[in-house]
Amino acid sequence: MEPQVIALIVFVGVYALLIWDKINRAVVSLLGASALILIGVLNQEAAVHGIDFNTIGLLLAMMAIVAISQKTGMFQYLAIRAAKIAKGEPWRILVSLSIVTALLSALLDNVTTVLLTVPITFLLVDELKLNPYPFLVAQIFASNIGGTATLIGDPPNIMIGSAVGLAFMDFVVNLGVIIPAILAGFLIPMYFIYGKKMKVADDLKRRIMAFNENEAITDKKLLVKCLIVLAITIGGFLLQKPLHLEAATIGLFGAAVLMLITGDDLQHVMEKAEWTSIFFFVGLFIIVHSLVEVGLIGQLAQKTLEMTGGDMKVTGMTILWVSAIASAFIDNIPFVASMIPLIKGLAPSMGGPDAIMPLWWALSLGACLGGNGTLIGASANVVVAGMAHKNGHEISFVKFTLLAFPMMLISIIISSVYMWFRYFAG
Amino acid sequence: MIAANIMTSGVITLTTGDKMLDAIKLISNKKVRQIPVVDNAGKVVGVVTPRRLMKAILPKYISEGMLEDVKFAPELPEFIENIDQLAFKSIEDVLEKEFVAVSPETHTMEIAALFVNAKKPAETILVVDDHKRLLGVISPWDIFKRLWEYSEKKS
Repeated sequence: MEPQVIALIVFVGVYALLIWDKINRAVVSLLGASALILIGVLNQEAAVHGIDFNTIGLLLAMMAIVAISQKTGMFQYLAIRAAKIAKGEPWRILVSLSIVTALLSALLDNVTTVLLTVPITFLLVDELKLNPYPFLVAQIFASNIGGTATLIGDPPNIMIGSAVGLAFMDFVVNLGVIIPAILAGFLIPMYFIYGKKMKVADDLKRRIMAFNENEAITDKKLLVKCLIVLAITIGGFLLQKPLHLEAATIGLFGAAVLMLITGDDLQHVMEKAEWTSIFFFVGLFIIVHSLVEVGLIGQLAQKTLEMTGGDMKVTGMTILWVSAIASAFIDNIPFVASMIPLIKGLAPSMGGPDAIMPLWWALSLGACLGGNGTLIGASANVVVAGMAHKNGHEISFVKFTLLAFPMMLISIIISSVYMWFRYFAG
Repeated sequence: MIAANIMTSGVITLTTGDKMLDAIKLISNKKVRQIPVVDNAGKVVGVVTPRRLMKAILPKYISEGMLEDVKFAPELPEFIENIDQLAFKSIEDVLEKEFVAVSPETHTMEIAALFVNAKKPAETILVVDDHKRLLGVISPWDIFKRLWEYSEKKS
């Protein structure tokens, strides 16, 4: 059999197994990758060459920093603070919790953000005797929207940034600026659907004001150390371009310094890293690299050019909308991993790497925001649904999708308008 | 020394059909740590423990471990109100099905090891026969009491 055919069969098989979702995704991707090497579609050296170690390094660095800093209680502190700033007013709590969730998700991974803040939401909503549903939906959206804003906010951005050589500030300047509008585009309809009806008695609001957020901080010394390292790391990201450093270098340095000054049990930190995600990425990079090696991605790029006629607007809008719809139903990580070489392949015919920059922003906006479309669209959605289930509040797929899919479309419409005026008009 | 030597027999039990109210009476009248629950055939099916009862009245996001502590929050009035509902629950609803049981021939050292290392939270260990019928219970202090008695007799 032709290597092209084998690579395609393995890729489709892996994708099918990922959608089927019965076997661990890391196992699926490693099986696919090792099968490709075993069969001889690519040799091991080429396979290792296909792994993007900048992405792997940055993911591990952020996991280590989060594993240590989550012990300080600062996430809980911020969530409680948000509720108190809102003066116990339920709709305002929903807005302020959304903003805190979005900000945290922009700097940390979305799953950790919701894992640490949603339990506080349950408690706050219990005190107010309200249904947690709108609050949970808001936090899911806020975490996916906030994650879009920066290089480190969401895995698709890490992959795109690494593959294209984009810095932290590139994402902030090109994507971060539209994020507040996208968040507003979600919260305004939410106000008319849920917010208007949220009324609670004054004595219940006083309960919220009786929270003592300072008690949530479990370790002040550790908190100071974590804040210093977070500041240095984010400062490093901001200066990434003038410093000529890869993001993984900055992240791993920050993680190493934090482990040094906290003297944290290294074994514990290492165990906290999500190794299944890391191995999923490793396998996926190898599989996608084999598609590139056998020339399939090149042919697909050629087909895409024929269909769009190499027109920037058509290509950009197509990538945005296709990414959004696809990411609503399938994991955005393998999708983005396969789109990256495809878009790279478009560059020579569309004016070079600098000219196609808007296509990367279209991919990021589509893949990150599309995750809001259904309950399985992004990891944060699945995690929040799981927490709600444990707590006796079901978030059903259909009920969520009926609200979330139109809301996701609004965010993509806002993105389209933004992209049109910023990159395509004129 | 084996389990049969150190266990306390004639243990008070509840049956699956009982209400929590019956358990509350037993807990307040007798000093018991946990009450074994037997079905109609006399087979042990679980235990009622204070830990399990606390889980039943706490909000799920706390009892399921999503929030480790809540010292920053004011008390939920509902938490105290939940006690009243608990009294009318059936024993079956608040049953701890994970319990540690041994045969009467089990050695004392094995029992001590179970207390120290058991994955399931064991406040007392049940002693059951081959048909899972309750013969007695062993509390951690029972082991020491019998061992002390034994060493006194020897000297």
